[in-house]
Amino acid sequence: MAKILYIEDIEDNMTFVKRFLIPRGHELFWARNAESGLEMAFQVKPDLILLDLGLPDADGQTLSTWLRGEPMLETVPIVVLTAWPAEVARHTVEAYGLDGYLCKPFKINELIQLIDKLLEPTRHED
Amino acid sequence: MKIEIVPASRFSIQELTDLYNQTRVDYLVPMPMSADRLMEYVRDFNVDLSRSCIARESDGQTLGLSMLGMRPGRGWVTRLGVLPGTRRHGVGAMLMDCMLENAEQAGVGEIILEVIQDNAPAYNLFLSKGFEEIGSWLVMRRAPRLVSAEPQGEIEALTREQALEALRAYPHHVTWINAYESMSNAPDVEGMRIQLPNGGRGWIVYRSHKYTLRYSLSHLVLHTEEGDPAEVGLQLLLNLHTQNPRHDTYAENIHTDDPHLVAFGELGYFKNFSRIEMRRKAGAPVNFPAV
Repeated sequence: MAKILYIEDIEDNMTFVKRFLIPRGHELFWARNAESGLEMAFQVKPDLILLDLGLPDADGQTLSTWLRGEPMLETVPIVVLTAWPAEVARHTVEAYGLDGYLCKPFKINELIQLIDKLLEPTRHED
Repeated sequence: MKIEIVPASRFSIQELTDLYNQTRVDYLVPMPMSADRLMEYVRDFNVDLSRSCIARESDGQTLGLSMLGMRPGRGWVTRLGVLPGTRRHGVGAMLMDCMLENAEQAGVGEIILEVIQDNAPAYNLFLSKGFEEIGSWLVMRRAPRLVSAEPQGEIEALTREQALEALRAYPHHVTWINAYESMSNAPDVEGMRIQLPNGGRGWIVYRSHKYTLRYSLSHLVLHTEEGDPAEVGLQLLLNLHTQNPRHDTYAENIHTDDPHLVAFGELGYFKNFSRIEMRRKAGAPVNFPAV
């Protein structure tokens, strides 16, 4: 189905998401910090990126500017998964030109719906 | 459980980083660190690991940590955290007692710290240890984007030394992380001075970090020497972001009454969270928390 890159430092969070995305046919790639996330984004060329804002080497906001600054990656949808309050997450998504957010703890159905919506074929024809 | 307090200097930076990150997995504001960032943190903010404390059980299982920054006459408590499963057993209070004792033994006259607004357990702990509120500060972000207005004024780029000199003479209070001592520990300090046609003048000092091949700005301090701070601040920020259009910016600890705040808003900064600064004078009585 789709190649999804999850940039998240906490393995349990990745495992939780992986458990539901793999059965839906997605390929999940995991990077546990910003620098490896950027490298992996170049290698994998993901269809969608799930991004934690609290990363140990550079935070998710900074990483999103790197990703958005690369022509190869600038149109890849980025969804923020964060423990920040919803208002901060919303401001971040708007200011950094990202595509959606979910605040932890979120329901897995919310994530699946958001991913499905962002990966809809019609979206790529816009 | 039997808990002992030992100096943080007995642990490697990687061990301290791992413990710190474990204490913050469920924190209000996610702030994990890498070992490299913690090393920078220790250097920039004069953290004395021999006076910083680790709480552990007798079998060696670590439970929490707290770090103490030391400068002449002042101490700074930072990175206090306890593992989620072991909270409400007095570990945080033991770590704070260790901090206070170490600071007083070193002859420190006052100890300061910052606590994130709405972190009631930590705030109440600090109150109970004799700390009092002295100010509130904003942490703001700005995503890279082109500025729409043409910047005005005559700009003079400041060398690191000139920027530090300006900051040393800054007449207002700044928090520990933006203080002259912190900035003078950092290699990446820059600044600019502005003169406006209407006589307004001021300066901005900041850090320009390099992450891999990319940069971001942080630790901004603005000062208006003459004129309207909103206007001087706006022109300083316009010039800063015109010169650095692809830089992500992290403005940390801007006072809630800072007269330049309106300029931050106009340039697209938005609030991430607030911090409360607290201070404890040497010998201040320990209070009993309200029940």
